Amino acid sequence: MGISCWLSRSLRFVVALAVCTGVTGCMTVKSYVDPALPVISNTQLPKVQQPQPTTVLFEFKTKGNNNARATSAMSGRVVAAVAQSGMFGQLSTTVSDPNGALLSITINNVADTSGATAKGVGTGLTLGLAGSLVTDNYICTATYTVAGKSYETTVHHALLSTIGNHSAPQGLAPMAPRDAMNQIVDQLVWHALAQLDSESAFRVGSL
Amino acid sequence: MKGLARCLAPVLLALALTACVSPPAPKYQPAIDNTNLLIKQSAKLGVGQFSAAAGVSNHSLAVRASELTGGGSDGTFSTYLHDAILTELQTSGRYDSSSPLQISGVLTRNELSSGIGTGTAKVGAEFALTRNNAVCFKKTLLAEHEWDSSFIGAVAIPAAFGNYPTTVQKLLGQLFADPDFVAAVRASNSSPR
Repeated sequence: MGISCWLSRSLRFVVALAVCTGVTGCMTVKSYVDPALPVISNTQLPKVQQPQPTTVLFEFKTKGNNNARATSAMSGRVVAAVAQSGMFGQLSTTVSDPNGALLSITINNVADTSGATAKGVGTGLTLGLAGSLVTDNYICTATYTVAGKSYETTVHHALLSTIGNHSAPQGLAPMAPRDAMNQIVDQLVWHALAQLDSESAFRVGSL
Repeated sequence: MKGLARCLAPVLLALALTACVSPPAPKYQPAIDNTNLLIKQSAKLGVGQFSAAAGVSNHSLAVRASELTGGGSDGTFSTYLHDAILTELQTSGRYDSSSPLQISGVLTRNELSSGIGTGTAKVGAEFALTRNNAVCFKKTLLAEHEWDSSFIGAVAIPAAFGNYPTTVQKLLGQLFADPDFVAAVRASNSSPR
């Protein structure tokens, strides 16, 4: 085998690898936060007269199944959002008083899988030229238990993601996936707390 | 034709290799349902030794071309179960290392599969509760868990790995809700130390 033949084969090998890794760049994912849920800031949340020390428990689920990895990744953000609400006293993630206030927050990711596989295969086979839009729905359930009474509320939100060559949802600006997810978590928590307050959940301890 | 095959070979190789991984089981997270069950218990518990029965996979579980490794502090699944029960007790404020009540266990079943369409996991253990070294509860429990799986390995394998801790949560949920276990803890709590 001559040196020119060997170089030719090597070049083909390198080109194939370069194409394989290069095409992944065409599959860009852009994230958008669903505008259906109004954006509120923590300063707009109701003021609680006597914020109670509370234990915060958090669980992230995927299609109803507990997702340990996502729970670990997001629990800090959830607890921070609860703290930023200013509606509680000292927060803890472990129970120190079994009769104390307990705030349980569950976020369940229910993906819109209708035709997702077909769309994904189409996007993949065309290296992103036929882009697709995926919707991830999030259902947040918050339960506040204090003095033997429980209050529960639910908030819905969604993350829209375009993959490959797909136009942006009308009127929405793209965000980095992590920023979009953080915004969704904050909004779910703050809306849930506002709704619990509207049920007078946080007035029990101050009566 | 040969040239095309040579070009495709590295592409296929690169795609196939992405599936070969051996991560440890994800860090155990306490389940809210389990915390709520333990809060109702009046006594605090310590955690004793956990081991695996002969023939039970205690170091790794094969999932297609990949494998999930133990994840406990010593790389075993029995220690993962020990750490999981410790986490549950600590989260619910029910852990006391010097308690006369000590829970220990033997891993009796440990299976993980990512079938096409449905993934399954089975984790079983024989739990023993002792009070001042005398056994007051002993039972073998088995948790079975299913989830949507996929033909595509890059989707199915992480899903299988992610559902292992969920199966352990279910197993511990069975234990904490078991009427005999609850009665044993309650009886031990009302007895003089």
